[in-house]
Amino acid sequence: MILNFELPQDLRNLIELADGEEIYYTLPIDIDEHSIYTRDSFLVVTNRTIDVIMHGKIEKKLAIADCKNAKAHAHVGQGLLTVDHNGTLTLIARYTHGHMARYAYIARGINILASGRSEHVESNEYEAACPKCGRAIPGTARCPHCSGENRFFGTLKRLAKPYIPQFLGIAVLMVLASVTTLVNPVIQRHLVDNVLLDENPSKSAAFLCLGGIFAMSVGIVFVNVAKSFYSTKLGARISNDMRKSLFDKLQAAPLSYINDRRPGELLNRVVQDTRVIREFMENSFCNLVTVAFIFVCDVIFMLSINVKLALMAFIPAPLVVVLIMLFRKNIHRRFHLQWHKNDDISSNLQDVISGMRVVKSYGNEKEESEKFLRFSNEYCRVQIRNECFWAVFNPMLNFLMGAGIFIVVYFGGSNVLAGEMTTGELIQFMTYTQLLYMYLNWMTNLPRQLTSLISSLERIDDILAFDRIPDHENGVVGEIRGQVDFEKATFGYRSYKPVLEGIELHVRPGEKIGIVGPSGAGKSTLINLLMGLYEADDGLLLVDGKDIRTLDRKSFHSQLGVVLQETFLFSGTILENIRFARPDATYEEVIEAAKTANAHDFICRTPGGYDTYVGEKGYNLSGGERQRIAIARAVLAKPSLLILDEATASLDTESEYLVQNALSKLTKGKTTFAIAHRLSTLKDCDRLIVIDGHTIKEVGSHEELIAAKGLYYELLTAQLQMQKGS
Amino acid sequence: MEDKNINLNFFESEGGFLGAKLESRDAGHAPEGSCGTYDRVRAVRLFPFTDPAKYISIRVGNETGEELAVIRDIAQLSPDQQELIRRDLELNYFMPVINKIISIKDEYGYAYFHVMTDKGEVKFTINMGGNNVTKLSETRLLITDINENRFEIRDIHALTPSEQRKLDLFL
Repeated sequence: MILNFELPQDLRNLIELADGEEIYYTLPIDIDEHSIYTRDSFLVVTNRTIDVIMHGKIEKKLAIADCKNAKAHAHVGQGLLTVDHNGTLTLIARYTHGHMARYAYIARGINILASGRSEHVESNEYEAACPKCGRAIPGTARCPHCSGENRFFGTLKRLAKPYIPQFLGIAVLMVLASVTTLVNPVIQRHLVDNVLLDENPSKSAAFLCLGGIFAMSVGIVFVNVAKSFYSTKLGARISNDMRKSLFDKLQAAPLSYINDRRPGELLNRVVQDTRVIREFMENSFCNLVTVAFIFVCDVIFMLSINVKLALMAFIPAPLVVVLIMLFRKNIHRRFHLQWHKNDDISSNLQDVISGMRVVKSYGNEKEESEKFLRFSNEYCRVQIRNECFWAVFNPMLNFLMGAGIFIVVYFGGSNVLAGEMTTGELIQFMTYTQLLYMYLNWMTNLPRQLTSLISSLERIDDILAFDRIPDHENGVVGEIRGQVDFEKATFGYRSYKPVLEGIELHVRPGEKIGIVGPSGAGKSTLINLLMGLYEADDGLLLVDGKDIRTLDRKSFHSQLGVVLQETFLFSGTILENIRFARPDATYEEVIEAAKTANAHDFICRTPGGYDTYVGEKGYNLSGGERQRIAIARAVLAKPSLLILDEATASLDTESEYLVQNALSKLTKGKTTFAIAHRLSTLKDCDRLIVIDGHTIKEVGSHEELIAAKGLYYELLTAQLQMQKGS
Repeated sequence: MEDKNINLNFFESEGGFLGAKLESRDAGHAPEGSCGTYDRVRAVRLFPFTDPAKYISIRVGNETGEELAVIRDIAQLSPDQQELIRRDLELNYFMPVINKIISIKDEYGYAYFHVMTDKGEVKFTINMGGNNVTKLSETRLLITDINENRFEIRDIHALTPSEQRKLDLFL
């Protein structure tokens, strides 16, 4: 993401740089003081000053030394950058959403400069629109349009490399198909001119020609079948290989990469984009060479037979191309609209059917019927209009496509009558004209298909080209003691919205830490950082005194035990689910773990015992039972670091007792981080931390925090009152 | 103001933001502990689409942002107090209303808008795949661009027929 935009030259001259002063960041300010869009306003940050240029004039110049606590606020539809200038909260800039993330980085950059350091902040986030051409970028690092055909062919070449023999084979078949298509009219001419119109036609010569035509017709069928077969096979193989490498890459990617994208988008890349490639191979590629070859030869043959006639046959071509393009665009718009209306109906229907209880209990059936009728009528109206359009214009277009042939028949026929051309030549010429227009139609489709192919390739390549985070093989391999230190750790899922700021926490090995705080305060985020799912944007997180980023992830995660609020069981047996952490565990170990987790008894009661199939479509386990399976999983892993995120929140009292009991066995002597809403479940913790407003507000034991009468005390009394009330 | 027992006075703080002084008229009725002077408060619309000038929540301008009062209708305030609140609303909301569609181009899944809004002329891009055009009512549209900027069309029938036809693709 660009943080240093190019200033227009006349504005650049406004900034007078002192000795040793350099421009660090330049960003557009796109909302002015009257809340109107502006294009000639900029924020320039040097290592000494913050300069605000409004409407081409310097409006503010603040010395960075006088500033602290720069902050980018995200409001509705706009963001504000403020700094604390000599103790006064000062508005620096207003900007729209497109610059929100940039200003968050700049705020961090200003704070770094204000603290006397001189490093630059950089952003790895992608631009949403191409700074060069202004087109939207489909979630990739580079703009598919500007990276150009060169890069496209480069990518294509790289991805196609393993399949070169197959490609060559198909290319040979394609050339064969085109030669057959082109030679057929030549034999036809020979048949007409030299055999049928001969003074004394010979039957055997006629049969010879017919045989040739027949053989070619049959031959082309075989060639086409083979061509389609191999193209389809190759397409399926390529897309399969790509799916495989995409999936591998996705699993290796850090969670932040996956979270930066909508889940559907990644799903689409694996499923849809690879399908686009397969379809392109099946429908377009297998004809690509054929069509290009035929088209070129066709034009050459036509010109060589009769230049004048050929040129006349070409005249309607540009018109036909333009008309087809216009027609397609129109049809696309119309059917897109129809699809939209259909979508309206479906979502309305889904709304009503899933909310039927509410609709019926409020007696709103009539209103809902009327609403549905409106959607339905609208769809009907659009559908009728579209079908009429299709019915009227499609035949017209088909007629126009054949217009070239009328010209050829008229002028060619006159030529034949005048004796300047033979009948056979005319027939051959007409066949070529038909071929020409047929392929012209096919070719107008090509740009659209190519673009969707380029976009898909770009999206796939974006993942494939993504560098794996290097695994530090020489990180911790031995046992983790469980000392955890957060040093000024700052993190946000979105760069402009920090969730945790300046977290400072030091945990001794074996200590039990309870984490409390209102929802959305960042408790789970803290734990996500600890699990190594995300990396801190700023500051450090140390495990046993080593930066968590340098640890060998496999060995670190194998020593991490996690029990979350919603336990995810994979489709499979209970045995497989418990063994998830250690697939090589023996039956005895699994049973031992299940016993520790208070899970053995209920597992025995299920019909299939440890082989009971669970998961999405499997045996229905209660919440408490799932939790205990998760604990058994954690027990089996023999973790040195335990993370419990609301492990007992959704359970009834009896299950909670069993789960608590199992947990206390599990956490004995191990560094534990536990999040809980019900504060009573945290009474065993050595220390409690209260998170609120993105940071740690209180730290201390249960008694200390009660004595301090702070936030924890308030939470506790509120809960006690609630229990009394119920 | 809703509660007759409190008195809320707005002022412009040193940095140009909205400040407020909350005091009680009747010592027994004031919201506990919230009386005092606030250098930074924020005005928040409760019904930004259906009634932007009514029901304005006044909240403390810090992380937790607790509510100090709800103003039922700012028209009831004195003109200078109204002006202070309007200025803060300007800083909290930026929702351009489209008055005129200059052009819409669609290209490979994205639509490029060039429009005239009450905040000036602007170009923006929307992804045609998602639900980025929401119908607030039969005639009112909310358009969200790829950067999550939001644009409103108050009444599609107020646009010219040719402008409406350009929008057809999104209705």
